[in-house]
Amino acid sequence: MSVDWILLDELDRPRSADGQMAADVAMLEAVLAGGPPMLRLYRWQPAALSIGRYQLLEDVDLERCAAHGIAVTRRPTGGRALLHGGDLTYAVAMRVPDGIDGVLASYAHIAGGLIAGLAQLGVQADVAHRAGDRGVACFASHEGADLAIDGRKLCGSAQVQRGGALLQHGAVLLARTPVNETDLLHYNDEGQRAREAHRLNAATVTMEELGASTDPRAVADAVIQGFAVALTAAFRPGRLDDALDLTAVSSEGHRSTVASA
Amino acid sequence: MDYPADLRYSKEHEWVRVEGNRATIGVTDFAQDALGDVVFVQLPDTGLEVIAGASCAEVESTKSVSEIYAPVSGEVVATNAALDATPELVNTAPYTDGWIFTVELTSAEEVDGLMDAATYQAFVNAQ
Repeated sequence: MSVDWILLDELDRPRSADGQMAADVAMLEAVLAGGPPMLRLYRWQPAALSIGRYQLLEDVDLERCAAHGIAVTRRPTGGRALLHGGDLTYAVAMRVPDGIDGVLASYAHIAGGLIAGLAQLGVQADVAHRAGDRGVACFASHEGADLAIDGRKLCGSAQVQRGGALLQHGAVLLARTPVNETDLLHYNDEGQRAREAHRLNAATVTMEELGASTDPRAVADAVIQGFAVALTAAFRPGRLDDALDLTAVSSEGHRSTVASA
Repeated sequence: MDYPADLRYSKEHEWVRVEGNRATIGVTDFAQDALGDVVFVQLPDTGLEVIAGASCAEVESTKSVSEIYAPVSGEVVATNAALDATPELVNTAPYTDGWIFTVELTSAEEVDGLMDAATYQAFVNAQ
């Protein structure tokens, strides 16, 4: 039996870095208000650095970020710093499904949709096993929240759970960015920066390096298909308006509020 | 799973130890197992008036931020500062060194509405 989902396809919808996070929080709040599960797909243009809800801002070299024109935003979710720009980002808001006990189980549930989607592009990803020290850069370590290919992280995700609902968002690495994430963080010295850059590079892999599609549209479509297959999601299009008041386009073509849907 | 008999339990998987008019609160063995490795605990401020059922603290585990709900109402009079440096105590000693905060109870009868160990164990088994 299929489950009604809202699809927020925002590949071509520019938002500020803070605006992206506000949009994700608005999705969670809409679900908490009784709305259906929803999937949002977006890109960060221009590039931006996100840090975890409880990560120290001191980890970030704000002067270097400013010099590169990179905004810094704080996620509502856990985890560490992540440079966006070369990725496709997904966000899922939903009630925690019955029978899903625990954080790792909820990651695994959503991973099913991502894995099925990537498989359509010839990429066989698996849920990552825990590995690596917990540094200041998100992608330098692996956890059960992430997807990996032969031990190298392709997709890193993070979550917040509130009132029986969850918001999970994550980044599928399409290609390397011109600026390295480790150029934007504080380290004890340049030697440590170089070692962390090497470690980050070795711990991650991009769609480009896998020889797979780097087209955000193609990857987004594959993820949508993956959720339809693995999570039996039946999507209808929706949109977040400028006030982040979530509305959905019904099958008849007129809008209704998600909260009252 | 461990269910100490001297505690009371909430449906949100917090435990309460009552001593006089004070209640010490933490998360249960079931909850810490569900959370996974706890890497950070955002403690409530002392002096905060918490309301039963309302969120008053957060924990981060496996890049996931989860809320902690107050199982009873009262004023926060103590928090476990050891969790700042060793948040993993929530995992390793959820009923003892991993306690999170203590409240001066506003309404002692709220404790009666919480589950005893046997009822909570049955509640967990039915999950």
